[in-house]
Amino acid sequence: MHLVLGLIIWAVWFVVLYGGLSVGCALAPPDVALGSLNWLNAVLLILTLGCTALLLYLGACCWQGRASADGDLQRQFIVHVGAAVHLLSAAAVLLVGLPVFALPPCI
Amino acid sequence: MTGGRITAPLAVFILGSSAGCGGPYSTLDPAGPAASAAAFLWWGMFGLFTLVLVFVVGLWLYAMRRDPDPAGGQDVGRVHRRLLVGGGLVLPMASILVLLAFGIPAGHMMLPLPPAEGEALRIDVRAHQWYWETHYPGTGVRLVDEVHMPAGVPVNVHLTSEDVIHSFWVPRLAGKLDAIPGHENVLRLRAYSPGIYRGQCAEFCGVGHAHMQFTVHVYTPEDFEAWLEAAQHDD
Amino acid sequence: MTDRNNAAAGELQQGLGRVWANLPGLGALAAVNHTTLGLRFMVTGAVFFLIGGLLAMLMRTQLALPEQEIIGAQLYNQFFTMHGTVMMFLFAIPILEGLAIYLIPKMIGARDLVFPRLTAFAYYCYLFGGLIILLSLVMGIAPDSGWFMYTPLSSAEFAPGPGSDFWLLGITFVEISAMATGVELTVSILRTRTAGMSLRSMPIFCWYILVMALMIVFGFPPLILASILLEIERAAGLPFFAVAGGGDPILWQHLFWLFGHPDVYIIFLPAAGVVSTLIPVFAGRPLVGYRWVVLSVITTGFISFGLWVHHMFTVGIPHLAQAFFSVASMLVAVPTAIQVFAWIATLWSGRVAWSLPLLWIMGFLVVFVCGGLTGVMLALVPFNWQVHDTHFVVAHMHYVMVGGMLFPVLAALYYWLPHLSGRMASQRLGYWGFWLFFIGFNMTFLLMHLTGLEGMPRRVYTYEAGLGWDGLNLLSSVGGFVMGGGVAMIIIDVALHYRFGRQAPANPWNADTLEWATSLPPAPYNFVSLPTLSSRHPLWDQPDLPESMAAGQHGLATMAHGRRETLGTDALHGKPREIIHLPTNSWLPLLGALALAVVCISLLLRAYPAALFGVALAAALFLRWSWENGVHLKAAPLADDEPDDLPLHSRSCDGPGLWGMVVSLLANGALYLSLLFAWFYLWTASPGWRVPDERAVALLPFLAAGALLSIVMALYHRAAIRAVQGDAEGLGTRLWQISALGVVHWGLLAWVLYDAALAPTELAHDAVLLVMLLYLLIHSALAVVLTVLQALRVGYGYVGARLPYELLVLRPFWIYTLGVFWLSFAAFLLLPMAWGGQ
Repeated sequence: MHLVLGLIIWAVWFVVLYGGLSVGCALAPPDVALGSLNWLNAVLLILTLGCTALLLYLGACCWQGRASADGDLQRQFIVHVGAAVHLLSAAAVLLVGLPVFALPPCI
Repeated sequence: MTGGRITAPLAVFILGSSAGCGGPYSTLDPAGPAASAAAFLWWGMFGLFTLVLVFVVGLWLYAMRRDPDPAGGQDVGRVHRRLLVGGGLVLPMASILVLLAFGIPAGHMMLPLPPAEGEALRIDVRAHQWYWETHYPGTGVRLVDEVHMPAGVPVNVHLTSEDVIHSFWVPRLAGKLDAIPGHENVLRLRAYSPGIYRGQCAEFCGVGHAHMQFTVHVYTPEDFEAWLEAAQHDD
Repeated sequence: MTDRNNAAAGELQQGLGRVWANLPGLGALAAVNHTTLGLRFMVTGAVFFLIGGLLAMLMRTQLALPEQEIIGAQLYNQFFTMHGTVMMFLFAIPILEGLAIYLIPKMIGARDLVFPRLTAFAYYCYLFGGLIILLSLVMGIAPDSGWFMYTPLSSAEFAPGPGSDFWLLGITFVEISAMATGVELTVSILRTRTAGMSLRSMPIFCWYILVMALMIVFGFPPLILASILLEIERAAGLPFFAVAGGGDPILWQHLFWLFGHPDVYIIFLPAAGVVSTLIPVFAGRPLVGYRWVVLSVITTGFISFGLWVHHMFTVGIPHLAQAFFSVASMLVAVPTAIQVFAWIATLWSGRVAWSLPLLWIMGFLVVFVCGGLTGVMLALVPFNWQVHDTHFVVAHMHYVMVGGMLFPVLAALYYWLPHLSGRMASQRLGYWGFWLFFIGFNMTFLLMHLTGLEGMPRRVYTYEAGLGWDGLNLLSSVGGFVMGGGVAMIIIDVALHYRFGRQAPANPWNADTLEWATSLPPAPYNFVSLPTLSSRHPLWDQPDLPESMAAGQHGLATMAHGRRETLGTDALHGKPREIIHLPTNSWLPLLGALALAVVCISLLLRAYPAALFGVALAAALFLRWSWENGVHLKAAPLADDEPDDLPLHSRSCDGPGLWGMVVSLLANGALYLSLLFAWFYLWTASPGWRVPDERAVALLPFLAAGALLSIVMALYHRAAIRAVQGDAEGLGTRLWQISALGVVHWGLLAWVLYDAALAPTELAHDAVLLVMLLYLLIHSALAVVLTVLQALRVGYGYVGARLPYELLVLRPFWIYTLGVFWLSFAAFLLLPMAWGGQ
């Protein structure tokens, strides 16, 4: 499960990000003139940072779990790869979320 | 006879290649800010990625030819880690960041945002199987397979379609945007200077797709006003 | 002593051969063996490749010179549509599935795949679907809307002919085949590895195939749903994609690319798996960074589901959303780069033995890295706006697909050719083939990048002279024919090698994986005995393993019972858990696929009664199929003295059937989620979306049906649990009661549908609701029918206190039916009410 948990979180976050943007634009599009400083971008940004933090935390947990997997090569393998998956997902979240800084949302 | 048939296209090819990247539909001969930005991105990426390709293939060849150290041990492990982290993580991430640093502002510049001063000229274009119908709102002017616009000022082309999905593309001025039934998309066009530019349908739209071209006539702002005036009186 | 051993081994081999042989003569059509079927898949795929290639040559002839009218626009449109369709759906995916079907059991030390009849069924679905699509080309009424079938160009109004129907029905048929393969490969890899082969020590190729199989399971349902919806729209006028009724043509694009992009990686991953398998063999060293590679394969699998919109950058989606997809598309370069550098590091540490497969891998590297880089370029939105839908994209796509798939597949062909023929291919012809292909390919497609940059759009059947495209197109066409020459050379080489190739020695490349422990060519049962492994490289660490396996010195070396058997092991550690009893040759897969072909053809002819008959026939055949499974007493009578340590899987509580059920339900869930996506998408983004003033579905009866379903589910759950605990008292009666209650639930639900004032041909809203209700009805009906069968089987003594297995296999289906019911209630009825729609 640890093998894919991080990526599942990434996927859910991605769907929420895209869906939230679409719904936000459909319901209450912020003024284009505001550029990237508006409520929608702020929400998406908070979401992104929160998700990154969560993934980093889970990755750290996974890494700590190394000790308990002492000796069991299987568990060790899963734990190592799991931690890396979390780390990579965190990086992916952060990078994909990057454009929120620069672009106006609904155009 | 056959010899002539073969040599003629070859001659054309040589002429064509010596003319470089010209041609009426060439994205590499930009005549507007959006097309210029895209061409700039292309040359930049082309240069960067050629280096990457040469580097990766060169490294691969070297790795194949190289005799492994008989000593091996720790040293090899370090090389492996360096290869994986450097090549697998750092190289692509760095390239992506560089690309985004140039790409996001370029994309932003192409959006139909309200211009700093004045308003963009609005032109409505309706796509049909297989022709383009142009309207100038408030004037009653209607054209087929032609767009007339002034140089140097932003123009917003409002696109929609009557039947299937088409795509409006004037390669030398800007990127393409789809004309979709039920939707209205806005494309920002801007030309540096007067002239005649060619456009075409880029999204496959049926039997007539290959012949769905149009022309964009760009005037100086004064000439454009005069043309619009005359066109209104023609109706 | 050894003589006696040899004699015993020989007897064992003969016995196994008898049990595992295909039926003679026409009986070969009833074969279920994975070696046979894997080969059939690959040969059929190769034939489709030649057909697709022929179409490409015709197109390049038409485009060689400007303003030609050799084949004309109409035919040209059919040709490029069919070229894309054949290459993607009938060549690339099936041939890789065939490779996996052939190799996976041999690599993981199993005797066959876990659901052999499903393999056969998958093959026939693929064959019949492919033939139906091909038929349209022969009749000159092929689909002509491009291989991604954008609506409304493909809908009834603008494509009134049967072309689109051929595509939609035929492709869905072929996709059933892919889904079956996906489920089967997933369960096989997880549950039938030989003893001691844990997840971390399984061959890297299996990781790639595992991820590919799971991607098929999640990636194909969106397209299946889209095809069904579009076919319903074409046949019955339900406006899912038509703006006038509140649908949206862009929905098709979303659903198509939601499948389409993962599909690219479904094709690339197995091919990359080939590269990761071959490079360590030729370097003579283990793959560097096994964990890194596993990590990057899993990551690729996920991220590829977040890229689909990069095919849609020009449809007018908000720029910020495009930026998300743009970055995600670039990110997928990271796991790919990790793999490339893992390969380089492996070559770095080894002493490389030069050979023909390695040459193809070298070609793969150059072409694929080039295609990957242009892919990153295309992911950059402002640049994409310029080159999207031009020949630049055509060039990019061929660099990725041919580089990322065909080159490794040809490397695989030359690498495993000795395995399937027992002979080595010639060197000289092979090198000619490679160089002709490589040079021809680059001549065609490298130049095509420039053609695209100079503004030539894709899918035009001709072009004006003097636009700067003439010379480039001519050279591309010449290159295409050079490439064709390369392919011809390879075919000749392969054909000749069967006659003139020298005998292959055992393990000719000195490989590390188990498939080289079979005889060459392999026996249908693969291995006489199944070893217990402790290493990732069995043949390197235990060079005498093939002999001891052939001598029957390891597990399952018995055939006295006359059953086909393989070992079932724990998914993580590879500890033996049970013996899986596999079915033998059967006509049911062929007949089932034929019945589906009847359905498909009747729908094409719009002969709906015949289609209904076909559905009933197919259902009857499938139920018969499920009846004759491993628990059937004729197949495996229940004895009093059954061993406790390794029971037959039908005596267990966690056999492969349960895993197969769960994986199939995951696929089914993906289909349902696609429907949910369509609902929410249309609700928020469709320009002409309208909600009827009054709610059409009666709430109270719907709720009552739901309450009843919940009770049924709870009762079933309790019955199953009690059977597991050994209390089968009154089990049959309970199952009959459950079935009866289920019928009442179904009746209520059917009444809700009958009573609902839906106007599905006028409103997309009602059309989606109708599909949702039908979906629920089908599931409830199926659950009831399967429960009735269980009740019958209790009567026959196939299911009971000592055999609770089937009850447990069916249980997830009930849970799923219940879950989908309440989810539908929340999403389709409750949420719109809260939204304030009604």
